[in-house]
Amino acid sequence: MALRFEVLGRFNRARAAQLTLPHFACQTPLFMPVGTQGTIKGLTTDQLEEIGCQIILGNTYHLALRPTSELIDELGGLHKFMNWPRALLTDSGGFQMVSCITNLYVAGIFYTQWHFAYIFQVSLLHLADITEKGVTFQNRIGADIIMALDDVVRTTITGPRIEEAMYRTLRWVDRCIAAHKRPHEQNLFGIVQGGLDPVLRDICVRGLVDRNLPGYAIGGLAGGEDKDSFWRVVAQCTAALPEDKPRYVMGVGYPLDIVVCSALGADMYDCVYPTRTARFGTALVPEGVLKLKHNAMVNDTRPIDPTCACMVCKNYTRAYIHCLVTKDAMGSQLLSYHNLYYMLQFPKGDVPEWVCNAMDVAGIDISSCCSS
Amino acid sequence: MALRFEVLGRFNRARAAQLTLPHFACQTPLFMPVGTQGTIKGLTTDQLEEIGCQIILGNTYHLALRPTSELIDELGGLHKFMNWPRALLTDSGGFQMVSLLHLADITEKGVTFQSPVDGKPMLLTPEESIQIQNRIGADIIMALDDVVRTTITGPRIEEAMYRTLRWVDRCIAAHKRPHEQNLFGIVQGGLDPVLRDICVRGLVDRNLPGYAIGGLAGGEDKDSFWRVVAQCTAALPEDKPRYVMGVGYPLDIVVCSALGADMYDCVYPTRTARFGTALVPEGVLKLKHNAMVNDTRPIDPTCACMVCKNYTRAYIHCLVTKDAMGSQLLSYHNLYYMLQLSRNLHSSIVEGRFPEFVCDFLQKMFPKGDVPEWVCNAMDVAGIDISSCCSS
Repeated sequence: MALRFEVLGRFNRARAAQLTLPHFACQTPLFMPVGTQGTIKGLTTDQLEEIGCQIILGNTYHLALRPTSELIDELGGLHKFMNWPRALLTDSGGFQMVSCITNLYVAGIFYTQWHFAYIFQVSLLHLADITEKGVTFQNRIGADIIMALDDVVRTTITGPRIEEAMYRTLRWVDRCIAAHKRPHEQNLFGIVQGGLDPVLRDICVRGLVDRNLPGYAIGGLAGGEDKDSFWRVVAQCTAALPEDKPRYVMGVGYPLDIVVCSALGADMYDCVYPTRTARFGTALVPEGVLKLKHNAMVNDTRPIDPTCACMVCKNYTRAYIHCLVTKDAMGSQLLSYHNLYYMLQFPKGDVPEWVCNAMDVAGIDISSCCSS
Repeated sequence: MALRFEVLGRFNRARAAQLTLPHFACQTPLFMPVGTQGTIKGLTTDQLEEIGCQIILGNTYHLALRPTSELIDELGGLHKFMNWPRALLTDSGGFQMVSLLHLADITEKGVTFQSPVDGKPMLLTPEESIQIQNRIGADIIMALDDVVRTTITGPRIEEAMYRTLRWVDRCIAAHKRPHEQNLFGIVQGGLDPVLRDICVRGLVDRNLPGYAIGGLAGGEDKDSFWRVVAQCTAALPEDKPRYVMGVGYPLDIVVCSALGADMYDCVYPTRTARFGTALVPEGVLKLKHNAMVNDTRPIDPTCACMVCKNYTRAYIHCLVTKDAMGSQLLSYHNLYYMLQLSRNLHSSIVEGRFPEFVCDFLQKMFPKGDVPEWVCNAMDVAGIDISSCCSS
């Protein structure tokens, strides 16, 4: 264990905490920008510190391909390599393997030059020591938090594959624990799988809790399932996971989802959404989204969000950004900056029914926000 | 006239000055990054201020296409639009039309070309160019000139030079904001000293706030290049700024400054950054090169910029050509490098150590003493002794 998790305040299930990691003392709930391959597209590390970023997520799969985990290790670890003095988290590589490589297989291509140098199949991960390799790469990369390799299936899939994946996830976490060479510097989190099936989720939670890991993630969500199923899985897991350890909902997400999950007792989130949507010309605002490409922006002299204190909103108009988006990378850069600032500030009607239901369970009275 | 130009120090022909413009008091010699279409690719205006940028050049042609000069005017001018509180300079639009549009045709009326938006025939006249630049609102605006490449020979050059003089009168007449924007004339005449001389004298007669030396940096040999610069700087007034358009390489800037020029612009530092090349005292460093893969040094150990203080060659190597961040970081460093060069030129002249600075610069770039002959010849005319740097 290489972290401390101290709850500083609560409201029913929601909690605010200090999560002290080797490189940085973070405050939760927190959002982690995704710096896929050793950089957040468009922002220098100075700017990331400026906007209050605490942890960045790196994708092990991408880093293993370029520049390779061995080189990162040789050069002193990812923190030093990318000049990020605060905290880092790496995923296991598993998700990208499934999402990036399955596509190649479906196209009929056996990808033989892959980093692990094996031929693989759709059911994947019959590779003898893939689990251990995932941890080894992460040990070399050196992040504060590393993720166990899980057998992740999309929640839109049904059938026995889900149960198989859940049990395999538990077996693999033991192999990850055994392979982990730096437990006093890097925190290995386990990932709860089990699809949308409460029975399977329960077995997985209990199995992981038995392993007494430093923290736990709720995986396999944010993949197309309906929102009503989504929040219920999060609610079930947060209710069952230990109070005194961080809970990380992977791949989340939209600001609304983060608020709901936090109300239900989750602490950490990651998503490419804010930066990816920036590259499509979309800004995050309290009302939802603002599409800077829209013709209405052409002479709009207001900032993206008049209530936002970020460098972009203090200095640039919608008209200017409109002029840049999709034509100059500067547009994406400025929108990425604003969107990450927005996510990191933590946003504190037509409220969707699933939100009302979730807030009900969370014990938060949102009647003043609902017109119905 | 909306500027003040005060020489603070000299060494022979070289001068360090304060150029006070409506939006900013600049120190020359200075380099202007090119912010083609209302932005310097990859850098926020905060970062531009951080690295000491004084003036940015905007391309009238590109801005007129997007977002249009009318919109910029409506929104309060380019300074406000792009959030740049310091100085701006716009060119006339003429060069891009000639260089970007194969079907451009130059007549006495102006430049006719096919609109890249809808293919319709359009005409950029001197009057129209000035009107557009009046709307954009830059501190310095450029007269529309008839620019021909120096690699061309024959009567076209003479025609272009005389037309440039006739057009500058039309620009002056069309200029609606002479108390806020400084209209510079551009010396043309190819590589012909007689034509250049006529043009200089014609422009000086018009008593403009400043003068540019145009038509160079287009492929001519370096020996011809420096001679034209030397001739023009010798003939242009002492008390007005001299701007060598499209320059350029650090070495060229040092030479031109020694010969008495004050202002420069070029896409080179930012464009070469996007190809993975960094500017360093020794010349260039190609970050794509395999040797960089585990090089933990900064791009330039002597450089104080944010990139050199925070990132290694290995890291940038990993990004270049694969992630826009590579270009961004290299653009930042390269512009810092050019602006630091400007500051060094200014301060070394003011502090009376200009020849030492030049020698030091040349020694780093040519450690074996193989300083190109054109540089030696130019420094001779500039009265700077660089024999200690030359092996021959």
